[in-house]
Amino acid sequence: MPATASVGGARPEPEEASPAPAPASTSASSCMGTRPEELTARLAAAGPGPAEGCGGAGAGGEEVEHERVRALREIKNQIIGNRTKKLLYLRLGAVPSVVAALAEPGASPAALVQAAAAAGSFACGVEDGARAVLAAGAVEHLTRLLAHPDEKVVDASARALRMIYQSRLAPKFDVNSGENMDFVLSLLDSENENVTELAAAIISHSCESSAEQLSLCSAGVPQKLVSLFGGSMNLRDACLGSVTAVIRNNRDVASRFASTDHGKGFRSVVGLIHDRSPHTRLLACLCLIALGHASPCHFQDKQIKTKLIMVLLELIEEPGHVGDEAPLALTTLIKDSFELQKQALTTNAVEKLSNHLLANPLETRRAVTIMLALSELCSKLEESRSQLMSVEVSALLLEALKHDWADIRIAACSCLKNISRSPKVLSGGRLSCDTVIGPLVQLLNDSSTSVQVAALGAICNIAVNLTPRKSVLLHSGVVSQLVHLSKSMDPMLRLKSVWALRNIMFLLSPKDKDFIVKELTLSTLSSLICDSEHFVQEQTLALVHNLVDGYVDSANYVIGEDGMVMDAIARQLINASAPGVCIQGMYVLANIAAGNELNKEAVMNVLLPHRADRIKPLFVVNFLQSKDKQLRVATLWCLLNLIYPKCEASSGRVVRLQNAGVIQQVKSMINDPCLDCKLRVRMVLEHCVDNADDCFM
Amino acid sequence: MFLSRIVLRDLDSIDSPASMASSKKVVTRDEWERKLRDVKIRKEDMNRLVMNFLVTEGFVDAADKFRIESGTQPEIDLATITDRMEVKRAVQSGNVQEAIEKINDLNPTILDTNPQLYFHLQQQKLIELIRAGKINEALEFAQEELAPRGEENQTFLEEIEKTVALLVFEDVKNCPYGELLDVSQRLKTASEVNAAILTSQSHEKDPKLPSLLKMLKWTQNQLDEKAAYPRINDFTTAALEDPSI
Repeated sequence: MPATASVGGARPEPEEASPAPAPASTSASSCMGTRPEELTARLAAAGPGPAEGCGGAGAGGEEVEHERVRALREIKNQIIGNRTKKLLYLRLGAVPSVVAALAEPGASPAALVQAAAAAGSFACGVEDGARAVLAAGAVEHLTRLLAHPDEKVVDASARALRMIYQSRLAPKFDVNSGENMDFVLSLLDSENENVTELAAAIISHSCESSAEQLSLCSAGVPQKLVSLFGGSMNLRDACLGSVTAVIRNNRDVASRFASTDHGKGFRSVVGLIHDRSPHTRLLACLCLIALGHASPCHFQDKQIKTKLIMVLLELIEEPGHVGDEAPLALTTLIKDSFELQKQALTTNAVEKLSNHLLANPLETRRAVTIMLALSELCSKLEESRSQLMSVEVSALLLEALKHDWADIRIAACSCLKNISRSPKVLSGGRLSCDTVIGPLVQLLNDSSTSVQVAALGAICNIAVNLTPRKSVLLHSGVVSQLVHLSKSMDPMLRLKSVWALRNIMFLLSPKDKDFIVKELTLSTLSSLICDSEHFVQEQTLALVHNLVDGYVDSANYVIGEDGMVMDAIARQLINASAPGVCIQGMYVLANIAAGNELNKEAVMNVLLPHRADRIKPLFVVNFLQSKDKQLRVATLWCLLNLIYPKCEASSGRVVRLQNAGVIQQVKSMINDPCLDCKLRVRMVLEHCVDNADDCFM
Repeated sequence: MFLSRIVLRDLDSIDSPASMASSKKVVTRDEWERKLRDVKIRKEDMNRLVMNFLVTEGFVDAADKFRIESGTQPEIDLATITDRMEVKRAVQSGNVQEAIEKINDLNPTILDTNPQLYFHLQQQKLIELIRAGKINEALEFAQEELAPRGEENQTFLEEIEKTVALLVFEDVKNCPYGELLDVSQRLKTASEVNAAILTSQSHEKDPKLPSLLKMLKWTQNQLDEKAAYPRINDFTTAALEDPSI
């Protein structure tokens, strides 16, 4: 479909439109220097243009104009594709002169075409270039030139604007204003495909907020975009991308799009997942994935989802960008969906992806995206994990851990993290051997924080290992690394390293626990409990929770040393931080309360502080009144452990709790909506009766 | 696509009786030709395939004649083919700068959005300088224009190293990277340019006919395992040859 050339028939070279007879650059360079400094100076000198003499541009004016066209063309040809040259011309200050040429009232079409092309190129790929072009006011001039009578000027301006709108620096087009919306709609109606493609680019660039998406939707833009699918391949691709941008994360717009005209637009997009062009197929898949995420109820067709998986798996075979991005699209599609991951597994996704990974070099973007897709496939399904472990992929993953590229190391860590969600793999001990642990621990020293975080994720999961092989991990030097990272400035590193320590601590022998506490020190532990981030506090308390499970002596870490750790815990509970922190804190107290008399008394002192002022209500009562059932359960467990077993001391504690109004609160919970709470409430009350027996009640 | 589907359908019908006997099913020439006659292919579709080939490969005169004779409308404006062919010819004859300028006139976004193509054109330019024996110019060009591209991309760097290595050898034609000076290198670059321009014009970069031939060959290979039938061995004449039994 010849869109741009239909008006004029054949497409002459742009220079033919100018009075210049010389078509080739060789002659241009012979009579004019091509050095950037010279060209920039010449261009600046050529302004302010031939129209200065008003109306009749004499022979001199023509020559000046001719000179200017040649300078612009030469600059354009030097900078297109060439980052270094763009930066050089930027330094020389050429951009304002180039953009000024667009503003010339009497500029020839040839000059406008060259200037527009040069301005567009400056905006492409170099941020400073885009900034300079924007600052010089290019958008305004180019937009005005879209109405120029010469079709070639329109083409060049539309292309240049498209380049500019692809930069993130470009100002958003305020589609909430009616006038602007009319303008966008008029661009979409244009016969010129360069202009309609520009409209698509503006739409994609300008619909970040849901209000913008909504106004575009109300103006019927999605339907218009769909109607343009019948145009050329490039236009269709641009429109598909814009539809995706308009519906992304917007439930309202997505559901309107899916139901307008009995789902005609939706069906058009579905049709395109089988298009001849791989790029179109990918874009159609991305559009449907965005639709499904924005409005799940409008996209429940299982068959289409299965087709999407198959199409995306096929696209991985495509060369270039399409094949690189297809695994990412697959990842987004199956993310968090047990059902779709299962579906993907039945279409041999793991096998296909791993074969591809093995057959191609590792240092590619595709290898990274494939590993991320494999990682997602292993996030929920045991079968995917064992499939991935059964092939030579595990050797490849180990290689990837040591790769130069940070992205590859991150992707490999992510795979290992999700594979190690499998209890089967873990108890098989295949990941807790030196060959895996060694490189992972090494990555804790990585210069990239993202790699460190990814490696911590994998170590966290591998650490949940019930077998005796845990000692491999423990003595790999990992503990001192984790302790080091727990003091990092980066909260994510602190969180993940404490998390890993927590998992290592899980069901550990007293000797090994002591090893960790000695490395970590109680004072570090106390300061981590009072970390600035509540998610770090929560993990630290969970670590303490694992530390004090079962062995009575382990409670000494918390209540010993002047009760430094206990004080920190008490402070957090009294300050009633985030619910997660309180829950973990109460579990720690519950575990300590399961110990000997000394331990129980220490907990009592936290619950019922010896204070004269009782203005503030007790935190334990607040917790029992909490909306969070987990917090209520944790608190009830703590109380239960305090008044168990039946003995004189327990009776004393019951009395103290009764006097403080705690038991009263428990009694009021006899019909707690949470069954677990209800059961614990009854147990607490029964123990109270047992302990009190003949004393009271 | 449709040709292969037809052949595959035939394959199905042959498949079932063959499975009963251990030897391959034999299809006589008469039977085969009768089956082929039963397959109706629209003349217009054939013509469109031919036109697609002429347009994609850039045979503008032939395409125009074919348009007049067969009444088949080309998928794109024939004038754009002339522009594209001029660029291609410029690369083929070693005038890389001219080709770059013509591409930029056709559509200034092509080389800005296709770094690999731009690099290959610059590399070709260096090769042409070396071929012409302009050693100083070549060195200067490699340093100023190509070296920055190598810093941006590892693959490019390796290719630059290979190209610059040409300068070291007295007898460049026979040096390890001599093939860079071969005509085939120009053709490779030219076809990359051709593909990029076609893509920018929303046209598929490969003609459909060659892939149909590939499918025919694949289908015959599949069929060979199940049946003996009159085969097309010479694709230039497409003559059916009797099966050897």
